[in-house]
Amino acid sequence: MAEVSAKENVKKKDWVELKRKPVKDPGFDETVKTLTPEKIEKVVNAVLNAGKNSGRFIAPLETCIHCALCSEACHWYLSHDKDPTYAPVAKVKMTLWELIKRKGKVSPEFMKQVARIVFCECNLCRRCSMYCPFGLDVAYQIGMVRRMCFLLGLVPQNILDQTNSLSATLTQLWITQADWIDSIQWQEEEVRADIKNARIPIGKEGAEVMWCPLGTEPKVAAYHIARMAKIMNVAGIDWTVPAEDGWDSANMGMFIRDMETMQRVVRGIFDNAARLRVKRIVLTE
Amino acid sequence: MYDFIKDPSLYNLVRGPLVWIAFIVFIGGTIYQLRTMILLAKKEKVVYPYMDLKLSLRSLLHWVIPFNSVNWRKRPVVTTVTFLFHIGLVFTPILLLSHNILWRESWGITWWTLPEGIADIMTLIVIICCGFFFLRRILAPEVRFVTFDSDYLILFIAFAPFITGFLAYHQMLLPHKTMVILHIIFGEIMLAAIPFTRLGHMFYFFLTRAFMGSDQGYRYSQDW
Repeated sequence: MAEVSAKENVKKKDWVELKRKPVKDPGFDETVKTLTPEKIEKVVNAVLNAGKNSGRFIAPLETCIHCALCSEACHWYLSHDKDPTYAPVAKVKMTLWELIKRKGKVSPEFMKQVARIVFCECNLCRRCSMYCPFGLDVAYQIGMVRRMCFLLGLVPQNILDQTNSLSATLTQLWITQADWIDSIQWQEEEVRADIKNARIPIGKEGAEVMWCPLGTEPKVAAYHIARMAKIMNVAGIDWTVPAEDGWDSANMGMFIRDMETMQRVVRGIFDNAARLRVKRIVLTE
Repeated sequence: MYDFIKDPSLYNLVRGPLVWIAFIVFIGGTIYQLRTMILLAKKEKVVYPYMDLKLSLRSLLHWVIPFNSVNWRKRPVVTTVTFLFHIGLVFTPILLLSHNILWRESWGITWWTLPEGIADIMTLIVIICCGFFFLRRILAPEVRFVTFDSDYLILFIAFAPFITGFLAYHQMLLPHKTMVILHIIFGEIMLAAIPFTRLGHMFYFFLTRAFMGSDQGYRYSQDW
């Protein structure tokens, strides 16, 4: 264990040495073995070239005056005794600016460190934009780096798995349609213990509200469905849940900037809403 | 221009053709950069639909007034220095008596001028603020970590015209004419550098601020 942490702490010799506890994640540790510098260069430059057509991407690069006034916004910075390497601008410096400066010619180990910074040390909360005198979209920049990491597969394993599940089944946790409908009917019975003849209408056309839960609800916290059903029934709302795929509002693709899956998840929900002709979509969370 | 053709001395060079070049680069470059950025933003699906004049102005107003945003209040020293610096940097050159005389000699136009004493103090404030920014770059760990050589360079670009102008006005250090020539050259470098360096935050400020103000305001959130 001691050996591992000693190795992990010296991540990149020709670059800033970060003193961090090691993050053990097969998504980082295993993927990094498959990377080659050529592959990294290709992916990084593909994203950077696409970014050249994006005002949101270019404007902060040309405006940021490196004043570090954003640092106090960051809970990572504040909770690490104001360690300058946790400041938002520092994170951009260590990832995006460095990749631009080197034109993507970096080693896999460097990329692993970049992935660690953008996934494990930033939540894309955008508080730094509220503290920046210019209102620069720092989170968007970090998001672009996340996109590079995603295209390389350098993503924390559990998020990657959930995104894979979304792209295959449009649910976060590999839930089949049969399981989904079964969970709803099971919870309908549970609610009926409290409210007589309570209903969870599945795929009811023309309802007013369509409720879309997160995948975790039918999977590990089914009682949430019952609670929502109680609220809806007592409030007397004309509601429904979709019967077909596209009911899961957990958009993990958004977090790792898997734009393709992200779009399909949103489209699935809107397609269901259009099919059922509902007036409102209600999401968990 | 005519002076330079009649008598091609260094002074007439910096006073004539180089001024023209500096202003053309500054104005042309600014228009070019702004146009590029606005066209780039137009290509984005998520910028223009969110833009809102009221929300943009609301955000801009909160940030151009000192101590009117959380971050300005959290850092009173930086805020004071920043505002003094920028007010001096923008208004002293425009309202300076000597500059006005140059405009009048060339084109016969004049506008209001600052009393010489006040202009002198404002210049001194800009110089001191530059020193503060320089020290902050060295001493504050979070700033030092993200400081590049280019940051010192752009600080120097802003600093040089003011220190040379100040020394020329008080006729210190170098002969007056040499100092004035240096001052004019540095001023022209600064003008020409604005559109093509990160000094461009002078005009990008309004664009990025407007976008963030609209983007946050759209979600009923405040970005100050």
